[in-house]
Amino acid sequence: MKRVLLILLTWFVAVSTLMAAIYTPDNLPIPYLQDKTQYVSNPDGILSQTTVDSLNLWLGQMETGHGVQTVLAVVERIEGGETYDFCMALAHKYAIGSKEQNTGLIILLSTGDRAYYILTGRGLEGTLPDAICKRIENHQMLPSLREGDWDEAMLNTVRAIKAYIDGDDSLVGSSDFDNDDATALFWFCIAMLLGLILIGVGIWWDHRMKSYCPSCHQYKMKKISSYTTKNKRLGIRTHHDTYRCSNCYFTKELHWDEDLHSGSGAAAAGGALGGSFFGGGGRSFSGGSFGGGSFGGGGAGGRF
Amino acid sequence: MKTLSSKAITPSQQGRVRGGSLLLLLVMLSFSLTSCTYNKLVEQEETVQQKWADVQTQYQRRADLIPNLVNTVKGYAAHESETLEAVIAARSKATQITIDPTKATPEQIAAFQAAQGEVSQALGRLLAVSENYPDLKANEQFSELQAQLEGTENRIAESRRLYNEAVQTYNVSVRKFPNNIWAMIFGFEKKTMFAAEAGAEKAPEVQF
Repeated sequence: MKRVLLILLTWFVAVSTLMAAIYTPDNLPIPYLQDKTQYVSNPDGILSQTTVDSLNLWLGQMETGHGVQTVLAVVERIEGGETYDFCMALAHKYAIGSKEQNTGLIILLSTGDRAYYILTGRGLEGTLPDAICKRIENHQMLPSLREGDWDEAMLNTVRAIKAYIDGDDSLVGSSDFDNDDATALFWFCIAMLLGLILIGVGIWWDHRMKSYCPSCHQYKMKKISSYTTKNKRLGIRTHHDTYRCSNCYFTKELHWDEDLHSGSGAAAAGGALGGSFFGGGGRSFSGGSFGGGSFGGGGAGGRF
Repeated sequence: MKTLSSKAITPSQQGRVRGGSLLLLLVMLSFSLTSCTYNKLVEQEETVQQKWADVQTQYQRRADLIPNLVNTVKGYAAHESETLEAVIAARSKATQITIDPTKATPEQIAAFQAAQGEVSQALGRLLAVSENYPDLKANEQFSELQAQLEGTENRIAESRRLYNEAVQTYNVSVRKFPNNIWAMIFGFEKKTMFAAEAGAEKAPEVQF
């Protein structure tokens, strides 16, 4: 009985890991959305981290320099095994590339299906015609793929594509990075300003309410004396302020408690706020978004 | 305005003015609705035409690739002349058919589709035959031409899909109430989509 259970369990685990390795356009992770420096989707860990870093660097340069937005995916298996259909579905789902230039690019390698595809957005069909895509695949990708060297295949491919992209001056670089940061800073300043105004209004209102005389209804109360008492056990300091109206000489007393721990608490909150602001300013954690580029079906693929 | 009308116009005149302005309002309202509907229909019809132009561009692109492909294959597989001639014949037949989508009848669209389908089939046979020639397959130019051809087939499929989408949007607008009344008055008619091809979309059979 135990053995049967064990076999069942092994079978289940094997099947579930096998299932997890088959990707659809919908469940393929897109790290770019969480972090806009990550263009490579490497969910099965087929590429080494060093390769992924190099690819991300180059693809990042392609986006800042020429506005080419890339998704590079290397997976074990894709559903259906048709790389073109998979790429096209990805293109429709995410609309990769800028809307103005339509410079989206999808590079897919499915090692288990032994198939690959380079799909070019409408705006890239001039820079990377189908024949060039095929040539890059034949010369840069295929030799390494036949040896099972996935890292080398992808590095060579992206290097070659980047050379073509860099050679096309008509492609305008995206200023998205700077734009986003500038916009964030702008809104932060606005928020700060609004906050300061609110605080100012609050202080003014507080002052006005304290100077209100309930007897003659004029705002002529002035503080004439004040002293504090301290309750160490409760951690409270009580303020006793005496106000007198300079108009009718009406006198009122105000008592208010100050929590002795709140001072340090406010400082801590301020620190946390400052920390989160500077943390948020770091580029590595901000997600990217795709620009709405369209694909007409250009590109080339093959099997090995 | 109110004081002016009560002074200068008698009650009976006032009623007439009110009735007249109501009529004017109704006319203006119906005109603005019509112009809105009309403009929308015009826009959608333009989109359909543009998508059709895209489809034709892609078919033309394929037609332009064929002479190059035929010449390349000829150099390696000269005795496949029958297959090569079939491609050329289908191409010249298909390029003769150009249609205007605004006036095209469903039959014309079907004829266009059939002619292009024949090109697809002839090309499919040619590519299947070329599998038998290792030298040809190893030829760089042939490999790139083949990639271009495949890319063009993909583009054709995509542009046809987009054309069909545009036609569907337009057709829905034309047939919806009350648009259908204006569509009838201004002569907007239902347009024909590409049918999913029964024969041409089928992968060619490879016989050894």
